[in-house]
Amino acid sequence: MSPDILRLGGRTFTSRLMLGTGKFTDFEVMRGALEASGTQIVTVAIRRVELRAPGHDGLLDALNWDHLQLLPNTAGCRTAAEAVRVARLARAATGTPWVKLEVIPDARWLLPDPVATLRAAEELAADGFVVLPYVQPDAVLARALEAAGCAAVMPLASPIGTGRGLRTPDLLTTVLDGAGVPVVVDAGLGVPSDAAQALELGADAVLVNTAIAEARDPVAMAHAFALGVQAGRAAFLAGRMAPRAHASPSSPVQGVPRLPDPEVPL
Amino acid sequence: MRVNGDPYPLTPGLSLPALLHALNIDPARVAVAVNDDFYPGARIPDRALHEGDVVEIVRILGGG
Repeated sequence: MSPDILRLGGRTFTSRLMLGTGKFTDFEVMRGALEASGTQIVTVAIRRVELRAPGHDGLLDALNWDHLQLLPNTAGCRTAAEAVRVARLARAATGTPWVKLEVIPDARWLLPDPVATLRAAEELAADGFVVLPYVQPDAVLARALEAAGCAAVMPLASPIGTGRGLRTPDLLTTVLDGAGVPVVVDAGLGVPSDAAQALELGADAVLVNTAIAEARDPVAMAHAFALGVQAGRAAFLAGRMAPRAHASPSSPVQGVPRLPDPEVPL
Repeated sequence: MRVNGDPYPLTPGLSLPALLHALNIDPARVAVAVNDDFYPGARIPDRALHEGDVVEIVRILGGG
């Protein structure tokens, strides 16, 4: 069997689980979780240095980047212009042109602005960025982002940090149908079965942060998510059975040993 | 001049490397934008700063 490779942004990956680095209690737990997850793509945020007491976070030192693709995000950006600016800062800070594009004007639900996201994606793709936009599961928007030159699309499962799982699987299916770039389900996954469900439907990968960082045992949960992703992907490749409206016996219907019973017709 | 969103007093002849030095920031661990120019911290130019310049100094943090 040929290896099951994820091709994304001109690179190849064997893991289909991307991890965020936010909310971990310390670097040791984060490092353990990243290792247990087997992830090869890791997201980070870009923030202003505090001018009064500049320190450094140490995140980059905490990880071995030889085998990890860094994926800086534009979290916190409310407009296309802000996101483009942060993406350019991120490229300068990390040396990678990869960017998880987030344009989110709404802090309560953290839902992305589709118009501004497309506008920023067009500008960044034209500037040589490998753009992975965070969007609602909208097939029309997804095709427009592909046409703009995005390397993937990242439809949300449910709002960021909610852990409510895939709330609109039918909409995700419309995004997957005919997608020309990898589809990465991002945000809202709570448990490994959510990740498995996304992969079973045909998603190419998932991105998880809070569900692992806020687990009682983040390292063990990272391992569990790795298994969920593998199970979901294997199931997708195997091809699910067709659902039926009514029951269908698995055992032969003929030859069942019966007692004579006047109440039950033969 | 503004640095990371706040007004910053411009002293005569202030350069970008001198600004980072004055702020006690290790250039290797940051990225810098001066208006629409973006620089890796390790490769900031010896550029003079002027009235009205908007300087952004950022670093990488954990995020999702």
